[in-house]
Amino acid sequence: MADSVAEIQKAKKLYLFIGLTLFFFTVVTVAVATVEILDFGGRGFDHVDAVIGLIIASIKASLVMLIFMHLNHEKKLVYQLFIMGIVLGVFLMVLTAWAFSDPIRYGKGTTEANKSGFYDPEKAPQD
Amino acid sequence: MDIPYTVTARKDTGLYNAKVGIWLFLASEVMLFGGLFSGYVFLRVYADFPWPERALPVVPGLINTFILIGSSVTIVFAWAALKMRKWRQFQVFMIITLLCAGLFMVLKGIEYKAKWSHQAVRMKDFVVIEGHTHKATIDNTGHIHHYHPEGEHGEKGHAAIGDEANGMILVAAEGDSHGEEGHHSDEGLTQSEPFEFNRVVFKADSVTVDLEKFYDPVIRDLMKQAQDQGKSIVLTGDLYGRSTHEVDEKLLASKGDLLSLGMLKKLRAVHLDAKAHNAAIKTKQNRKAWAQLRGSLPKDQKGAPSYKIKGDLVLDEEFNKFLVSAPSSVRFEIMDAAEEGTEKTAASATFVLKPREVREGAESSSLRDGTLLEGELDAKHSQIEMAADAIDFRFVAQRAVEKGIDPEVAIQNTWLIKNNPEVKELWAEHKSHIDKLAKELEKHGFDKNGKPKQFPTDTERYRMGWQELVNMGEGKEVMGVFSGFAGPNHKKDYAKHFPEIVVPREETNLESKFTPRWNNYYAIYFLITGLHGLHVIGGALVLGHFLFCGKKMYLNNPERLANRVEVGGLFWHFVDLVWIFLFPILYLM
Amino acid sequence: MSAAAPTADHDHGHDDHHHDDHHPNFLQKYFFSTDHKTIGIQYGLVSLIFLLIGFCLMMVMRWSIAYPHEPLPEWMSFFFSEDWKARWLQDGMVKGETYNMFGAMHGTIMVFLGVVPLGFAAFGNYVTPLQIGAIDMAFPKLNMMSFWLYFVGGLLMLASFFLNTGAAQSGWTNYSPLAGIQQSGAPNQWMTGQTWWLLAMVFLISSSLLGSVNFITTIINLRAKGLTWMRLPFFVWAMLVTGFLLLLAFPPLEAAALMQLSDRVFGSSFFMPSGLVTGNGALEVAGSGSPLLYQHLFWFLGHPEVYVLLLPAIACVAEIIPCNTRKPLWGYRPMVWSVLILGFLSFIVWAHHMYLTGMGPVISTFFQTTTVLISIPSVILLTSLIISMWGGSIRFTVPMLWATAFIPMFGIGGLTGLPLAFNLVGLHLHDTYYVIGHFHYVVAPGILFGLFAGVYHWYPKVTGRYMNNLLGHLHFWPSLIFINLLFFPMLIQGMAGFHRRWYNGGDAYLAQASESANVFGNTVEQYLPLNILMSNAAFWLALAQLPFIINVFFAWRRGKKVENDNPWNATTLEWATPTPPGHGNFTFEPSVYRGPYEYSRPDSEEDYMPQWHEPSQSEPSPAPVEKESDATVA
Repeated sequence: MADSVAEIQKAKKLYLFIGLTLFFFTVVTVAVATVEILDFGGRGFDHVDAVIGLIIASIKASLVMLIFMHLNHEKKLVYQLFIMGIVLGVFLMVLTAWAFSDPIRYGKGTTEANKSGFYDPEKAPQD
Repeated sequence: MDIPYTVTARKDTGLYNAKVGIWLFLASEVMLFGGLFSGYVFLRVYADFPWPERALPVVPGLINTFILIGSSVTIVFAWAALKMRKWRQFQVFMIITLLCAGLFMVLKGIEYKAKWSHQAVRMKDFVVIEGHTHKATIDNTGHIHHYHPEGEHGEKGHAAIGDEANGMILVAAEGDSHGEEGHHSDEGLTQSEPFEFNRVVFKADSVTVDLEKFYDPVIRDLMKQAQDQGKSIVLTGDLYGRSTHEVDEKLLASKGDLLSLGMLKKLRAVHLDAKAHNAAIKTKQNRKAWAQLRGSLPKDQKGAPSYKIKGDLVLDEEFNKFLVSAPSSVRFEIMDAAEEGTEKTAASATFVLKPREVREGAESSSLRDGTLLEGELDAKHSQIEMAADAIDFRFVAQRAVEKGIDPEVAIQNTWLIKNNPEVKELWAEHKSHIDKLAKELEKHGFDKNGKPKQFPTDTERYRMGWQELVNMGEGKEVMGVFSGFAGPNHKKDYAKHFPEIVVPREETNLESKFTPRWNNYYAIYFLITGLHGLHVIGGALVLGHFLFCGKKMYLNNPERLANRVEVGGLFWHFVDLVWIFLFPILYLM
Repeated sequence: MSAAAPTADHDHGHDDHHHDDHHPNFLQKYFFSTDHKTIGIQYGLVSLIFLLIGFCLMMVMRWSIAYPHEPLPEWMSFFFSEDWKARWLQDGMVKGETYNMFGAMHGTIMVFLGVVPLGFAAFGNYVTPLQIGAIDMAFPKLNMMSFWLYFVGGLLMLASFFLNTGAAQSGWTNYSPLAGIQQSGAPNQWMTGQTWWLLAMVFLISSSLLGSVNFITTIINLRAKGLTWMRLPFFVWAMLVTGFLLLLAFPPLEAAALMQLSDRVFGSSFFMPSGLVTGNGALEVAGSGSPLLYQHLFWFLGHPEVYVLLLPAIACVAEIIPCNTRKPLWGYRPMVWSVLILGFLSFIVWAHHMYLTGMGPVISTFFQTTTVLISIPSVILLTSLIISMWGGSIRFTVPMLWATAFIPMFGIGGLTGLPLAFNLVGLHLHDTYYVIGHFHYVVAPGILFGLFAGVYHWYPKVTGRYMNNLLGHLHFWPSLIFINLLFFPMLIQGMAGFHRRWYNGGDAYLAQASESANVFGNTVEQYLPLNILMSNAAFWLALAQLPFIINVFFAWRRGKKVENDNPWNATTLEWATPTPPGHGNFTFEPSVYRGPYEYSRPDSEEDYMPQWHEPSQSEPSPAPVEKESDATVA
């Protein structure tokens, strides 16, 4: 971590630069979402746009964490503590997603009708 | 005695206490927002309604992103200033940070307010209409009037009133034509405060209050509305009852007494007393009977399960004479408030009720505290009158596809298209626009199934948004980034292009403002941004504390203050970080 | 670190701290104290009161199960007001909604207001800083705030009984959509028990969040000189893991609680599926919500929560057993690793509570596997404790009795849980009394026995007096007998199909079942008379707690005084403090020279070797000690 005056002065320039970078990425993320020429994937919002938006957000988040939150020169322990939170957060999301996407199937095979995993007598295919 | 490592780091961990603490806290925050983001993902992926895509105006969100990122830079500058022992610089950067926080919340507030005042209706056939409701007032004779504040007379407003000929009844009934001119009080009529034209209007001649459940604000509201119309709510007959140990029934309230909270509370007290007394008597009776029953059983069956022997239970009738009685509900009638001494005559009063607080029926409606109104529903004024700034057939289309019907046919068959010629016209125009767009997009080529690679999205195809409505009306684009800063602009002359729509209540499936109630998108939007806003406020309070109360610590122990600011800054960056994800997923996706 | 500090040196001038040390007034000393010991005692007393309240609720429920049509006896209902009885009892009998209310609140109070605060907050607060040689917690003010948040949350929970709607009625799990629409007829949603439950939970979650941040920081950063990780008493390890469980498992529930709160008061549909119809007709909500999402978020907390309950108890037992067998704890390192693995695994087993929700075979198998896996560290912990006793010269003091009983009781609880891990068995046993029996074997005779052991064990340190031995025995033996009579029949009933939510002891169900010649009904019927045995055991169990209550208050002033600061001849640091420890805990700066359980060392004259005793010549030199003090760090 920056501890001497000179180092802090140097770091301040970095902070400013990162701030501007974040501004830039913000403009980029709005642009790809609203400007028609920059619309990736199919027309309008789709999965490609979601992935691009999240990638940009992740880059921004990483910059904030690494530079503003000093994770680029932080102690090992901090990583251990924080990553534990992130890992478990990912578990929560992934396992729940798995549970949602693997329902008991009614009737034969996987059809559009029983994709949601909630039993609906009207939609259930008849055997 | 001091806790060690508040200033310096512990050697083996390399960290001071507060830093360990804040990172732990942030880890837990990750889980909190992880839970909420999971909620967002699953609610969106498994939504059975068309999720509103890119529904929020981007500009306020964009500005807020800039503000938060900027404040992240200034807070880290403030920390650096403190590290270099420059108090003045620290103060400056800290103040900028706090101002950013304040500005962020102000913008958030503007955005929220725009949502709260935006009406939405989902019809039974899943047409979605968004817009702003008209305002109405009620005068002291119980008639409903349109309310037009000065300077907000859109041309359209008058045109709509003239629409009566089309069968689109927009104007209140007989004798209120003078009300159309606006909010004034000639001919001895006084108008109420304007309310939104989405209320349930019920003409009641009697009110029955549930003594156990009645809720003061509800009763107070009824009394005020009746009083404003010169009506009084009076008891229909004498009420007798006795509580606890009184020998005789006594008169609790007599016929003609006015409804008052004091009276209700008194009656409730008597009722509850009597109820408690009776319950105690019956308990005693029951206990005695069971003791006798168990006593009469042969020894080896004394512990028999009660369901086996309960048939033989004999209650001692003697106890019944101790039971007391008191009314549990009271019926009042609406009377004309006549002069002292003269006979009052039966009348009815018009109650304007918030739709969520009443379960309405044609002849009786019950309020949220169980109070029952009897009379007649004023169906005409219980309609929702609004200037629609968006008409959305996506839900209709989705349901149609699920059922295997052609969406276009389903849309043609909706109540709105059938009953509102203006919307029908707009829809036809919209369709021609979309067809043109689809043709244009064919230039991108076709895939191997012969389908065009690019085609209008469902949103483009089935939703007429406010900009489009204006465009269709004027034939030109809505100009300027800031027009409709936080939503459709109902103030400028754009509003005159918004079709007037009157929705009978029985045709609606759900009506709401753009609040958490409206759909899960707004629910998650309000919940996450609200929680995030609380974090902003909390963080700002802590940082403000360092700024305004930190001078003493700065003089004594500047390194400790620097540590505190660093820790506060870490939290602040985290709040920024959450927003960095919130902005795209709520505003851009 | 502060090379750039031009104005002041940080080594002196901690003015803002000093007011803590000077003559606190009565309020500061006993109520708004920032001293971890006072806070620990506050937590202990309040949580014991909550345990008692939870127990009373249970007795009313047990009465209505055993004697479904009989009015509550006088001794059970005298403390309810007449009005309250008129509202919630039907001619003296327990109504269905009252049973639901008591059931929901029994679970909530016992878990969130009783056992967790007693185990984690009370013992953790009192013992942890002492055992690691710290003068206090890392953040004393947060610690105080944590207690008061808990207190307010608890009061809110209790106060909700007196609302017009009564307290929450949809089970301690508060499943949506039931919990979302429960009491929705009330005129003001903010004033319903169901809403207050959520508000109170927000307080309790905030409290445990502050608590766990504090604990983990304290353990990481405030260990005494020489107290390396592998010299930490097992108790501290368990507290560390518990802290992490609370820290990371509670927030998803907080998210769920906020969503449910929004569903209740703002009418959103986070957990409301489309097309929901109640007795009052179709609900006026947008729909499209997911009730399963609530269950996932809830059980993401719910399962780690079980280990939050368990670990403090096993921690107490792990301290008491070596001390009373005069043997080192067997397998200290495996136990430490087990507890860490247990903590981690507990986050990925949660959906075994949800086999009945229609999860597919693949994901069910995943959760089944992790659930079975988690039994390995649990068994290692339990086995190590058993082996620790092997060949020891056991002193059967009262705490040791409780600790000894903990092992088989928790064993039964754990082993009866194994079948539930398998989804096919789970489908049959789900929501039966088997689950109740299993869970209560873990919590009541398991965890609570462990915590009672802890109370008897550390009481002399807290008060300077022993608890009465005779009363202790009068507490222990009847408790052991009646608690088994109470919970063992549940396992039998559950296997026969007795449903956990039958409020009238299965009577109404039987009436239905006999009409339709339901085969399950007949099976259940044979086991219904067990209800009477179980309920009476519960009443006697209540009586058996009287000696304990008397003992706690009696011994406080009149108990036998301890002879020295280390009455049990134990080895860990808390026994190096004066009795009771003053503000600042230690009269000397503690240094640690050896592991936590050095009993009966052949090279030592005494049969124990405290951690803080400087090594003699004969002892091999201890591991290097980190050099650290504020002065040397620059």
